[in-house]
Amino acid sequence: MLETLALMGHGFVNAMSLSNLLFMAGGTAIGIIIGCLPGLSAAMGVALLLPMTFTMAPETGLIVLGAIYCGAIFGGSISAILIHTPGTPASAATAIEGYQLTLQGKAGKALAVACFSSFCGGLLSCISLYFFAPLLAQLAMKFGSPEYFWLSIFGLTIIAGVASKSLLKGLISGALGLLLSTIGMDPMEGAQRFMFGQASLYEGINTTCALIGLFSMSQVLILAEKKIKQRAKAAKFSDKITLSGKEIKRITPTILRSWVIGNLIGILPGAGASIACFLGYNTSRQFSHHKEEFGKGSIEGVAGSEAANNAVTGGSLIPMLTLGIPGESVTAVLMGGLIIQGLQPGPELFTRYAPMTYTFFAGFVLVQFFMLGIGLLGCRGFAQISRLSDAILIPSVAVLCVVGSFAIHKNFFDVVIMMIFGVLGYLVRKFDLNPAAIVLALILGPIGENGLRRSLRLSGGSPAILFSTPLCWVLIALCVFGVCSPIFMNRMEKKAVEDAGGDIPNETGDDPVRTSD
Amino acid sequence: MKMKRYLSLLLAGTLALALTACGGSAKTDPGTSNQPSTSDENWAPKENVTMIVSYKAGSGTDNTARVLAAYAEKYIGKPVIIENLEGGSGSIGWTALSQAAPDGYTLGFINLPNFNATISEGLATYTVDSFAPICNHVTETSVVLVKADSQFNTLEDLVKFAKDNPGKLKASTNGNRASNHIGAQVLATSAGFEYTDIPYGGTADQLLALRQGEVDFSVAKVADFASFTSEVKVLAVYNQERLEGYPDVPTMGELGYYDQWLGSSRCIVAPAGTPENVIKFYEDAFQKLMEDADYLKAAEAAGMETDYKNSADTAALIKQQQDFTESLADVWGD
Repeated sequence: MLETLALMGHGFVNAMSLSNLLFMAGGTAIGIIIGCLPGLSAAMGVALLLPMTFTMAPETGLIVLGAIYCGAIFGGSISAILIHTPGTPASAATAIEGYQLTLQGKAGKALAVACFSSFCGGLLSCISLYFFAPLLAQLAMKFGSPEYFWLSIFGLTIIAGVASKSLLKGLISGALGLLLSTIGMDPMEGAQRFMFGQASLYEGINTTCALIGLFSMSQVLILAEKKIKQRAKAAKFSDKITLSGKEIKRITPTILRSWVIGNLIGILPGAGASIACFLGYNTSRQFSHHKEEFGKGSIEGVAGSEAANNAVTGGSLIPMLTLGIPGESVTAVLMGGLIIQGLQPGPELFTRYAPMTYTFFAGFVLVQFFMLGIGLLGCRGFAQISRLSDAILIPSVAVLCVVGSFAIHKNFFDVVIMMIFGVLGYLVRKFDLNPAAIVLALILGPIGENGLRRSLRLSGGSPAILFSTPLCWVLIALCVFGVCSPIFMNRMEKKAVEDAGGDIPNETGDDPVRTSD
Repeated sequence: MKMKRYLSLLLAGTLALALTACGGSAKTDPGTSNQPSTSDENWAPKENVTMIVSYKAGSGTDNTARVLAAYAEKYIGKPVIIENLEGGSGSIGWTALSQAAPDGYTLGFINLPNFNATISEGLATYTVDSFAPICNHVTETSVVLVKADSQFNTLEDLVKFAKDNPGKLKASTNGNRASNHIGAQVLATSAGFEYTDIPYGGTADQLLALRQGEVDFSVAKVADFASFTSEVKVLAVYNQERLEGYPDVPTMGELGYYDQWLGSSRCIVAPAGTPENVIKFYEDAFQKLMEDADYLKAAEAAGMETDYKNSADTAALIKQQQDFTESLADVWGD
């Protein structure tokens, strides 16, 4: 226990080096910019900037990515409030009350509430990160081959949850990802599968290239086919971006409720910040003493939504760090960053690499303070960025995609892979399939294949080994829950959206990557 | 109209693809123009030297390479830059190295016997002759491991159990036909027993499975279990002599099994065609470097077994390991 406390303390000391602090500030600012640009989601931002962290120390790289993640989730609220266009789907619910406040000339107030609530939500979510992550990691030490098989099946059931619009299309996307995951060397027999003589495919498709292609390059193609239009001018506002003590007192219960909701949703794989913001918003209305203000500009509504979506961030890191199962696309990208640094998700992060992990956690805490500071001071500036023209956005993102995928291995073949996945991502979205599901299946496929084939070789071919331990049964129960959860989640989200008035502004209409927020 | 737009987009995409495909992967060093003259007795590099590591940053080879590079300037005269070109089980980096200009500005590490395996498995466009050996850097010896509370206390116990229960004994390996699978297979062949191998894709997972008790034994290199020595028992070493760190552990040969060295070696090589005087320069420089007190201190701290071998001995080792890898066809039974 004392040892853990010492590790936590050391984490803060390490995280507070000058370079780390500078990187935190930079990462947060970039994240906010990405977030408030409609059309760029948090997952895309993290995927695009991932290659820039390769040369950094592992903890610094992860802190930067975490800062971009948190910043982007908050940044989405700026354009939601000022131009009625959520910068990321995670801020969809913020637009409802936030824009009403803007119309009343209280945009400054709305931004201050969004920033303060995001800060609280993010900070509180770190509590569960500190407490649950090491516990779950210890449990992961007990996982053998059969358990890993079930874990991957559980992860695959998440795809159903991610799919949202159509279960069938979600499953098709998942199956496509699983097929792609078989490319490369057969893990048991060493046979070369679908490599077409390319040595670069020996270790399978590079997940990071696939991510950059599916999320960022495909978005370039989607944006490029539309007529470039001027975005609405951000509303001018003159009121101060501050909160009074009384207002803070008023939104505190809302923030606490949204924290619990967001955190749970974060830990549950498959449900992202976009669901959390609606649930947070709704709950804030149900418990509000000022119900009459809702729909006409309620600060509690803004707080409920923003605290919930930022509370997701810390929680969503837990299954990724401990079990290697990313619940949604941002954490899938973060996992790519971890692996490129030579770190495998799992128990070792809390034993051998504990100093690095706790430095990252400490950085994640500090990032929240940067978000508060930069958010409050820079709102006016970010508001202008939110209407950056696609004419600049499209070529910049395209260049970043190419440079980024080349930087991973300095191998041109990776750029080709990224391009292929860019086109694939474009087609996939045109057919309403889900890129996030493809990525999840691409990551989970090998875990499941190895788990199953190893188990069967251990048991001499008897499938009974898959049901041999209590842990297996726990995971099987989770799988059943995973299969049923989308029905439950859908109902919950539908109800939340309906209760919210059903009028969700969505500029692009193509709903980038639902879960990526 | 819409269709047309789709088509043009697709076209643009294909064009982009075609363009990128033209790029190729040949990697040349910026300093290719100043070809060294072969007559120059006192050749020394005039600019930075690149050393290719075919595994990712933070891997075992990368760690040892960086310790070496950190002390290299004193003897080489110019800084040594490590470049990681991973993928394809190492073959991506070795392909780039084999195609680099043989001007003494691009060197690299090859890992035996993984390097030999890429050739015998048909992953490579290069052969042993595509490289000019300079010296050997690090050697790690394989050992037979069981869990600390295992019922087996000697290798004889293990072999006896395996012979009485054919196929029952399970071994975790770091991948199908990877180094530690070769080790287990060599033991089984020379002792004449059957076992079941379970590939785990990497040494960390391979040894985790052993510690969890999912398998009965493993073959691994000494440095692989340095952080949890108390959790395992070492039953035998693959060497002609006992290891310094394990004086009580018998060699495989003493027990009447495979009596050759087995493990992994990291050699420093240049592309074939590099002039003799350049090779000689590096051979001498690395010898002095590997005897440097500061380097040795850092190497010991990193748990590296520095094992300098000169160019001729290294060439022989590469050749011997290639023959060994090719001869494994009998061991695998294919």
